[in-house]
Amino acid sequence: MSNLSQVFGVTWAHFLAQVILFIIVYLILKRFAFNPVIAMLEDRRRRIEEGQLNAERIQKQLADAQAKYEQILAQANGEAQKLIESVRQSGDQLADQKRQEALAEAERIVAKAQEAMTLERDRVMAEMKHELGRLVVETTVRVTGKVLTNEDHRRISEEAAREIAA
Amino acid sequence: MLESTTWEARFPMELHPILLAENIRINAEPLIPEVAWFTNSYLVTLLVTLLLVIWARSATRKMKLVPQGGQNLFEAIIETLYGTFEGIVGKHMIARVFPLIATLFIFILIANWFGLIPGVGTIGWGEPEPGLFAIKEAAPPLVRPPNADLNMTLAMALVFMCMWFYWTMSEVGLIGFLRENFEPKGGIKGLLWALLLPLFIFVGIIEMISIVFRPVSLSLRLFGNIFAGETLLHTMSSLGDSFPVPLNYICSVLFPLPFYFLELLVGLLQAFVFSLLCAVYIRLSTTHPEGEAVH
Repeated sequence: MSNLSQVFGVTWAHFLAQVILFIIVYLILKRFAFNPVIAMLEDRRRRIEEGQLNAERIQKQLADAQAKYEQILAQANGEAQKLIESVRQSGDQLADQKRQEALAEAERIVAKAQEAMTLERDRVMAEMKHELGRLVVETTVRVTGKVLTNEDHRRISEEAAREIAA
Repeated sequence: MLESTTWEARFPMELHPILLAENIRINAEPLIPEVAWFTNSYLVTLLVTLLLVIWARSATRKMKLVPQGGQNLFEAIIETLYGTFEGIVGKHMIARVFPLIATLFIFILIANWFGLIPGVGTIGWGEPEPGLFAIKEAAPPLVRPPNADLNMTLAMALVFMCMWFYWTMSEVGLIGFLRENFEPKGGIKGLLWALLLPLFIFVGIIEMISIVFRPVSLSLRLFGNIFAGETLLHTMSSLGDSFPVPLNYICSVLFPLPFYFLELLVGLLQAFVFSLLCAVYIRLSTTHPEGEAVH
């Protein structure tokens, strides 16, 4: 063993010097290199995880907001449809009412016109009967050369009027 | 072994101060005779240490949440290593063991690649021979790859084994460790358990021997590979020495060139092998019998 260490130049002094130097390297790297880097990596990993969680939360919030928006939109659409329907129904009712009123007014005007026409015809007929009676009487007077009494006037006029009405 | 020569005798001024050598010795050599432990490999270990500390500090001094430049590279390396070793030692152990395993990997890697810089192992003092800055042998070379020195590899292996023992004892305890290695496994009970006990004790003793020899295997494997690489590069560099000038200079560059790429790979591979084996040893001894990790 001693011979072997001599061959390879292994001595306590050299060996211990290398041990001490390696331990120093180890401690320095551990203190100033590995620990800060591992802490930084851990911090970064934590932040990334937090970022992912935040992103997932935001995505969920976005989905919720989207759903809520769609719900509100659907509700608004429904209400608008109802309103439109209501307006449409009101419009129809108003149109019907106006139409009914117009029809009633037209019927009233027609009735009034018919009544006025009837009255006018009756008046014309009365005038025409009266005139015709007068003409018959006058003609009768001229043809017969007789002087007619009031009673004759009335009778001849009535007969003429009856003849016209028939 | 070490000659007690004076500084003047070892580095005579009439010799060229910087020369190229052909051979490489199996042991590191003291640069200052009065300080035996201050060898050429120790000098490189110091340089590598300095390099690592400067690099790590410059990368982590002003750390930002969004990494840039040196911090980015350093973090990428650490993150990759962390993920790799976490898969081996498990989540319950990685935070404790990572600094040592990562130090081993990075230190071995930088030291191995540092040894590939032209001049490492060849620049030194020696007896001149014909040629530009040529010497017969650098005695000693000014710088030598740290892992081509068994002291360094053994130091790393033993430091690791001490930490391994501490982590194992703190994780499973002495009783748990002995039961894991000596007790019959597989849910055997009764007479069969008693019959198999001697066999498992024998296997456990073999396991204990293998554990004792782990630092030896770890250190010799790394040392052997790096020293062999150094020898290979030196041999390739000196293959064309018998050729006339300047062909010998051209050959000394061209011949070892492919092997430099090989040694780059070997340097990385050996760093991985050493650190991965350490991680596996930790995994084997800190895994609880029922396979449940302690958190």
